[in-house]
Amino acid sequence: MTTVPGMGLVRGMGLTLTRFFKPKATIMWPEEQADVAPKFRGRLQLLYDEYGTLKCETCFQCAQACPIECIDMGGMDTRGRFHVHWGPPETYGERREESAIRRSGRPVADAEFTRFDAIDLSAVDEILEAHDYDPKALLPMLEELQAAYGHLPVAALKQLSRRTGAWYAIVYGAATSYRHLRLEPPTVTAVPPAGEAHKAAEAGYLSALDAALDGKASR
Amino acid sequence: MTAFLTTPPAWPTIILARTKAIAADPWDLDAAVRAGAFEGLRAAVRTGATGTIAEVAASGLRGRGGSGYPTGDKWRAATNVDADQRYVIANGYGADPATQIDAALMAADPWAVIEGLVIAAFAVGASEAILAVRSDQPGLVARLEGAVAEVEAAGFAGHDVAGSGRRVTVTVRGLQGSYMLGEETVLIKALEGKRAAPDQRPPYPTERGLFDRPTVVNNVATLAAVPWILVHGAAAFAAVGSTDAPGTALVQLRGPGGAGIAEVPMGASLGEITALVGGAGAHGLKALLVGGPTGGFLPADALDTPYTYAALREAGAHIGSGSIVIADDRACIVDLARLLTRFAADQACGKSIPCRIGLRRLSEIGERAAAGTPRAGDAQLAADLAHDVAASALCDHERTATYALASVLRYFRTELDDHLLRSTCPAGVCTPIAVAGGAASPGASA
Ligand SMILES: Cc1cc2nc3c(=O)[nH]c(=O)nc-3n(C[C@H](O)[C@H](O)[C@H](O)COP(=O)(O)O)c2cc1C
Ligand code: SF4
Ligand code: FES
Repeated sequence: MTTVPGMGLVRGMGLTLTRFFKPKATIMWPEEQADVAPKFRGRLQLLYDEYGTLKCETCFQCAQACPIECIDMGGMDTRGRFHVHWGPPETYGERREESAIRRSGRPVADAEFTRFDAIDLSAVDEILEAHDYDPKALLPMLEELQAAYGHLPVAALKQLSRRTGAWYAIVYGAATSYRHLRLEPPTVTAVPPAGEAHKAAEAGYLSALDAALDGKASR
Repeated sequence: MTAFLTTPPAWPTIILARTKAIAADPWDLDAAVRAGAFEGLRAAVRTGATGTIAEVAASGLRGRGGSGYPTGDKWRAATNVDADQRYVIANGYGADPATQIDAALMAADPWAVIEGLVIAAFAVGASEAILAVRSDQPGLVARLEGAVAEVEAAGFAGHDVAGSGRRVTVTVRGLQGSYMLGEETVLIKALEGKRAAPDQRPPYPTERGLFDRPTVVNNVATLAAVPWILVHGAAAFAAVGSTDAPGTALVQLRGPGGAGIAEVPMGASLGEITALVGGAGAHGLKALLVGGPTGGFLPADALDTPYTYAALREAGAHIGSGSIVIADDRACIVDLARLLTRFAADQACGKSIPCRIGLRRLSEIGERAAAGTPRAGDAQLAADLAHDVAASALCDHERTATYALASVLRYFRTELDDHLLRSTCPAGVCTPIAVAGGAASPGASA
């Protein structure tokens, strides 16, 4: 059957013929409008780079920009070591490893993370109360949260978002973009203690500069 | 803390004018007032807000935070917008980790900065003034808060600024955790509690800044020059320095012969300035790195270049963080450019494509050159990429982060070609290259 010469051509032409007599699907936009849900904005699709890894860096900017907060993201790095974020709507599996650590990835001990733990939220509520539930004080609140819990537990971030009205993407975006803030307990990570992360980056640059000016290898 | 350098007696001091008189205890307000602190504020109140802006504009003062925008114009722009509230922010973050100019200034004369900030707030009609500094510097926030409280108690700020009937509340805000915090729109974002990514300009902060209100962001050294202008007059300030950029600037020097911070007249030549730390010393001058981590490398024959915004841009560098580093013959310029580009790429916020991917690709070219694994066409690729990143940059960080490699392409092309085409590192720094090329250069160190 498959070896009959010209069969593929016949089948192809057959498809063309049936399509030819079917009703046309072209919509004369913008005169005509497609019948889709009013909220529909097309399908989200992430792009892959030349190595086949997702180009998304989990930078959260699309989530922050999305007016109906439908974008949430999370996942592991390509080697399954770094957990970034766990968001209900979508969970994207992989990211570019280095950039992910740089942007928002923090090493966590158990890669098999499922849910965030419930914690005693009384400290969060006190901090919120002291700052009058004002999202403008997000940075000081995050710093105080970290002082109270040693890190920024997801449950606390969610509470912060709920009670201040600031989108979770905004809270999370701010928490991940400052290097002195950390998202998991100091005991389970290899990163330097809170507050040291940015200083370490600066110190690395300074010592490399010293070496380079002295004519020594700085890499 | 980096020490201040002694400058030739002919060089005027403006920003640091009072530091000698109050050196015994810079944090003593009474001593500072006896030495003339807050005279400028009194003069501003006498002249009125519009007169003060006119005076600052006439002096020709330009921003010392790197971009050199005329301060008078900036203040005027903020007053041109109708608003229920305006803000003035003193940018004392000091993003460059190798430069302590802002911190040194605030430690030597905190009053000049606070006074300049109050004058700016008075002039643009802002009742809220914010002094933004690094909170990872122990004690700095607390000391400045104490100083601000004293200033308010003395009546130079607070409900009734120096008898003008106007209110200016000064708040000290500590920030940390990101290089980008030095950039004005990022600073504003952080004060609003948002992530450290810059906004597109325009609209400029003077139109829509902190909490969408007109906001003036000025470097602390810019503000510290303002009281002097109001006391001594715009003409006296304009007479110092060069015509297109009058006044003085604080620079931080570093060379084989020494290091320190100095107040130099704008327009002084790079040769005169680097002579303050004894020039390049025994090994001979190879390059000057002007502008900090996003600065450019200038060749030895650029010593005549005047230290002005325009001349440095022309030469492929910029004032930037005010840092001038002397690299002698021991240093490999390709390796230095690689280091700088890498740092700039690592610190970039990731908001725009040139920032997130352009700088990364650029720094990879530098890494390849220094590691002895260049690809064919890397020099042309670097030139094209630097051009495209600078042309499409969202904020000035990407634009200036291309200077390091672009200046190497412009002035040190033979040294770059040694790396890319001949697999050697003339300075013997990039050792893998020397080994790969089979021509280990003398003096190579591990
Ligand atoms: C990456 C980057 C870092 C910056 N860091 C600083 C800084 O540390 N201090 C500063 O005063 N300005 C810094 N600036 C410049 C500010 O954006 C702004 O132009 C300046 O504070 C305005 O003050 P001026 O008009 O007095 O110069 C930086 C700009 C960029 C793009
Ligand atoms: S998180 Fe950032 S990189 Fe990923 S899709 Fe959104 S905007 Fe793009
Ligand atoms: S550093 Fe990211 S946009 Fe400029």
